Amino acid sequence: MKTNKIIISILLIICAVGLIIYSSGSQDGLDELLLRMDTQNLADSDAKMQKALGRVQESILENDRNKILRNLDRYTETFSQKLDLGGQNAADLFIYKNGPSANAISILIFAIGIAILLSAFDKNGRLKLPSVYFVLVVALYAGVYIAENTIGSNSMLMTVLKKGVIYALIAVSMNLLNGFTGLFSLGQAGFMLIGAYTYAIFTIPPASRAQVYQYYDGGLIQFAMPAVPAIVLAGIAAAFFAFLIGLPVLRLKSDYLAIATLGFAEIIRAIFQYDGLGPITNGSNLLRRFTTFNTALFPFIVAGVSIMLIALVINSTYGRSFKAIRDDEVAAEAMGINLFRHKQMSFVISSFFAGVGGALLAMYQTTVQASAFKASMTYEILLIVVIGGMGSITGSVMTSFLFVAASEWWLRFLDNDLIIGGFQVPLLRSGFRMVVFSIVIMIMVLFYRRGIMGDKEFTLKKLFAPRVKKGGKEHD
Amino acid sequence: MTNHELELKNITMQFGGVVAVDNLSMYVDSGEIVALIGPNGAGKTTAFNCVTGVYKPTNGQVLYRNSVIVSNHPQGKMAALYAGQDAGIYKETVEPTPDKITKLGLARTFQNIRLFKTQTVFENVLIATHLHRTSNLLTAALHLNYKEERKLRELALEMLRVVGLEDLKNEIATSLPYGKQRRLEIARALATKPKLLLLDEPAAGMNPQESDDLAQFIVSIKQKFNLSVFLIEHHMDLVMDISDRIYVIDFGKLIAHGTPGQIQDNPDVIAAYLGVDEQ
Repeated sequence: MKTNKIIISILLIICAVGLIIYSSGSQDGLDELLLRMDTQNLADSDAKMQKALGRVQESILENDRNKILRNLDRYTETFSQKLDLGGQNAADLFIYKNGPSANAISILIFAIGIAILLSAFDKNGRLKLPSVYFVLVVALYAGVYIAENTIGSNSMLMTVLKKGVIYALIAVSMNLLNGFTGLFSLGQAGFMLIGAYTYAIFTIPPASRAQVYQYYDGGLIQFAMPAVPAIVLAGIAAAFFAFLIGLPVLRLKSDYLAIATLGFAEIIRAIFQYDGLGPITNGSNLLRRFTTFNTALFPFIVAGVSIMLIALVINSTYGRSFKAIRDDEVAAEAMGINLFRHKQMSFVISSFFAGVGGALLAMYQTTVQASAFKASMTYEILLIVVIGGMGSITGSVMTSFLFVAASEWWLRFLDNDLIIGGFQVPLLRSGFRMVVFSIVIMIMVLFYRRGIMGDKEFTLKKLFAPRVKKGGKEHD
Repeated sequence: MTNHELELKNITMQFGGVVAVDNLSMYVDSGEIVALIGPNGAGKTTAFNCVTGVYKPTNGQVLYRNSVIVSNHPQGKMAALYAGQDAGIYKETVEPTPDKITKLGLARTFQNIRLFKTQTVFENVLIATHLHRTSNLLTAALHLNYKEERKLRELALEMLRVVGLEDLKNEIATSLPYGKQRRLEIARALATKPKLLLLDEPAAGMNPQESDDLAQFIVSIKQKFNLSVFLIEHHMDLVMDISDRIYVIDFGKLIAHGTPGQIQDNPDVIAAYLGVDEQ
């Protein structure tokens, strides 16, 4: 049994490595081939076609019926020759097109191989849960990569996935504060704005600054950072502001905290639009031309790592004390938990990741403008958190994708006029989507008050656990 | 200097014009069980809250092992309104938050049970071990503190074993019956490794059988963990059984102090509890 597993896993790993080498090798050869095809052969056949077309036109002018037909035949011949040129390499082209997918699949096979190999050395010979999660995560990333390379990165699906994963990060960061620590804060848009602006300001290439800051003589800052350090800096900037604001604000309770943080977000938005800060923030004008991502994997990796870090914090002893503060402040304090310090910790962590999320959102949108970070953006995130379940990371993540898909994609048809058999369906017009959306949300809030997940997490263990009958032994 | 474990000096707590605790001075010695009793609304829990940092007393001082942990004198509006005595003796102001008091080694339970509602029995106790941590946020998040974490979990489990709730550790705390919730609160307090345990009406709502069990339980944990116990209670049987000394207050004022035997015969106490015939 053990040796079988080792053999299978080694075979899988070899297979994966072989596939990678093959697909990347054939890709290199194909590049050259396509280049040659493009420059010489295609040009030649185009020239031939042009010539034939010219002859057809000439013969039309001459008004000779037979000549016209003969020349038309020649023309179609050159046409099919050109098609053949593409057709010859159909198989190669297939690999060329699907090379990235092949790579992604081979990495997935590799992961499965390693998971099986690990299970071979396990005491009970069982597949360990962490390795199952590892394989699932790799499968998710491979899936995103394949979808991007086959469907195209500008498709609706990819748009939803990219925006969804960014919203997921921001929603989880808000859930840490509102759902896990019980601090009702509405400042998320403000911290996102700080993150987005910090990122944008520090990554616009110096060459483009004169154009971007055209009203402010090219702005103050004349250097650019690589994307990843700039994202971290965006988080740190948001966290720093959270630290300062938290000093007075975190002494407030419930609704008052919400009002104060909402006010802060609005003030930040006004400050960033202030003309006097123009050399840095570009006033109320757009910031653009900063580094963006060219693959959907980038936001997926950054958001994935961030969400994992938040989950790790929540599962640590600090996360437990956050939950204690949520459940009962008085008792938590009597158990030796310093309320203010722990609230501050939660607030700063949450804002850090909101800043990171803001930076990703800036990259996704390719432009940043302070006026976009309105309170309604906070409400959207709050909605995701509430529908997903206060105190559920997986709930927030799932709902983010559902929310973005519904608002950007699935309900779009409601905004367009629809005519069935000469009869115009009433009510369908621009803006109706939001009406339906609000009704859906109202139904959610009325009937699933605790959200999709409540404060539970979605785990494989629960999914596959046998339904335990009363009195039966619990399965581990 | 006397070596009391806990000492209250002239504690006065005034809410506006109402004097809830009036010039209360008392002490708890090491290894003692001391009870504070009195009719409803006598100011027992208020006195407790002054010791644990929930309220800031208007006047007076609390000392723990001869060092001042709480101290205040009438200030601001209260300076003019103050109706108690000894104003201005204690010039220094020490007002710690409850978590600091707990860290010193004074753990408390609550009169109206305050468990963490959404957490399991085990997690409730585990949260109380948070103050023993040496890890910071980063090491805790990256699980570099797994050795310490294991130790904390063992401590929490040990406390559950002591109060006999080990079998129920995965139940949601608030789903337990009332008596067990009380025990869980005590387990949670013990998990902070206190030297002085402050129990706020531990037998409230219990029948005589349960309160007998509780009395034995309190004595047993006192011996096991080498604690001093300061408790507030209504059940006279329980108080008379286990207390070494008893303080009686009525309308915030100390009216009697002594051993259980002395208190039982004290006419003032009987008058406070049963009322006096007006002739």
